[in-house]
Amino acid sequence: MVCLPHPIISFQKTTMWMLAGIVLLHVTTIILLLVSSIDNAWWVTDSVSTDLWGKWELTNKVWHYTNLKDSPEGKLYDYLQTVQATSVLACVFTILALFVFLAQLFTLPKGQRFTFTGILQLIACLCIMIAASIYTDKFHVNERPGGYGHCYILAWISFGLTFALAITYLILRKKKE
Amino acid sequence: PEQSQAIVIYTGWERHALVGSDVRLSCSFFSWRWTSEDVSFSWTYRPDGSRDTISIFHYTRGVPYLDNKGPFKDRLEFVGNPGRRDGSILIKNLDLSDNGTFTCDAKNPPDIVGRPSSVRLLVFENPIQAGVITGAIIGVVLGLLVLIVVIYYLMRFLVARRVFSLSVKHGKKKKEGSQQRQGPVPPADPSKVKAATSEKKKQESRKDKK
Repeated sequence: MVCLPHPIISFQKTTMWMLAGIVLLHVTTIILLLVSSIDNAWWVTDSVSTDLWGKWELTNKVWHYTNLKDSPEGKLYDYLQTVQATSVLACVFTILALFVFLAQLFTLPKGQRFTFTGILQLIACLCIMIAASIYTDKFHVNERPGGYGHCYILAWISFGLTFALAITYLILRKKKE
Repeated sequence: PEQSQAIVIYTGWERHALVGSDVRLSCSFFSWRWTSEDVSFSWTYRPDGSRDTISIFHYTRGVPYLDNKGPFKDRLEFVGNPGRRDGSILIKNLDLSDNGTFTCDAKNPPDIVGRPSSVRLLVFENPIQAGVITGAIIGVVLGLLVLIVVIYYLMRFLVARRVFSLSVKHGKKKKEGSQQRQGPVPPADPSKVKAATSEKKKQESRKDKK
């Protein structure tokens, strides 16, 4: 069981609900991060949906998949690879953090903080922040038509969620019985 | 009018190159006559999967004419030596769209009857480059994580062993000391040590709870 640092009258049920809520939030974050990393919709126009792995172009009402190396973004391919790597690392670390949290629920001595989980989640937060920042700074800087797609927005939302979860894990203590 | 004879044109059969590199397409011919001043070379290009042929190079009367409007604009260079019957061209900074067939037609007047020879160009993407940085970053970070976790647990294990061996030594010394005194034999020392350490742990956890 877990509880907040300040002593409050906590019934069994509320701690169970809180625990379920945290785990649910963590799973949601994992799903959002995975969608953001896998789907190719960081930058979207009427006929193009692109990044991080490939470019979808709508020609004659049919979507075609092309390489990013040949497109105008090809010159920034090194930066794109960094964004790819940090985005994947964010997914890996946040999934790892979930498993470590579940393990620590059973193995952590009473009254201790979930530090390892918190640290892993913090690293995931850092990674997705690096990915989104590099992408914002280097790509599609002055392009007129088009805007950021749902994957880009999900990346920033995941940044907020992972940060909140990391702080939660670093503050939370295992309840003493 | 002089009688024209056959001319035989030679090019390569196939050329392979990587994207971004340069390739030299060689063209030479055999003719019974001396090389005339009006010798001419012509290169034409047909992209893969297309039926259109475009002219990209022409050499005549000592002047090479390079493509300045088509797909090879600013990428062609004449590196041949017409005096030595060499009409080779150099294509720079290859792209995947340059895949196709290049045909060389040489004429050494009055020997103009000949079959133009073709060379097929195959441009390959460098398979190693794509994704090297991505893989390197992921591998290094995960490797570091594993290393840190292993070192952490190793340190804990070593420290615990050290503590245990020290407590055993301490217990042995006590045993020897009491035997010299010839007093009552104290109870088994390892269990005493264990009880002491568990007591300490209980006290520590009580402190943490607060």
